[in-house]
Amino acid sequence: MLFLRADTNSEVRKTSYNELADLVAAIEELGEEDGWSGELTFRISLVVDELAQNVVDYAYIDTPGDVEVAVTSTDETVVIEITDEGKPFDPLTEAPAPDLTSPIESRPIGGLGVHFTKTLMDDVEYRRESGQNRLRIVARKVK
Amino acid sequence: MGINAERADGTVIAKADGRIDSSNSREFHSELEAVVADSDAALVLDFEDVAYISSAGMRVILLTAKSLQKSGTKFALCSMDDSIREVFKISGFDKIIEIHHSQAEALSAVSA
Repeated sequence: MLFLRADTNSEVRKTSYNELADLVAAIEELGEEDGWSGELTFRISLVVDELAQNVVDYAYIDTPGDVEVAVTSTDETVVIEITDEGKPFDPLTEAPAPDLTSPIESRPIGGLGVHFTKTLMDDVEYRRESGQNRLRIVARKVK
Repeated sequence: MGINAERADGTVIAKADGRIDSSNSREFHSELEAVVADSDAALVLDFEDVAYISSAGMRVILLTAKSLQKSGTKFALCSMDDSIREVFKISGFDKIIEIHHSQAEALSAVSA
């Protein structure tokens, strides 16, 4: 098991976003070391970026805290668990489904992060446990 | 992340580079707004040197597309690598914003 930790405990949200960029860079480095394909690394780093940003923007909207990202790599899959101690927030049900079809002028802004997750991952699960939000995402190495 | 813009024959070619994410999407937005300000020239946004874009960057693309459409300004994107192209496809933005393989194709499309 590989373990990463992104401390978003900051008064300034911008600092948290810079830390997210560091987290994504760490995931990419890890993927390279573990021999992930470029396509797999892209899918995983984007999804971790989006989900961790949701934690910063929603679960920690009032009080900032830590985001833990644990990565487990097997022959066939990469499993990532993202844990935070913020207020209960299930992005899979609380984020509105994006409108992907209306014309430019009426296309709503936002809602894409969770859509990316559902589209690019093979499995996504949310649990609220012991005062924590826990997201578990699974990406198969070979499609 | 940065944007390098040049003007040629009534078109602005803006070449972005690096990674566009939540840490710099505001800066990306203001740089892009500065590029299109005081100009009704068509805009080609070249992605050749963009390595990564998250939903925070896609938000800026959509806001820019909306504002250019309102002012009747032509807008096209070009030269994306496969992963960036995939992000546009999943977002459904490829149905509302022109995306071309090369800068030359994008230029001829907006000047047509």
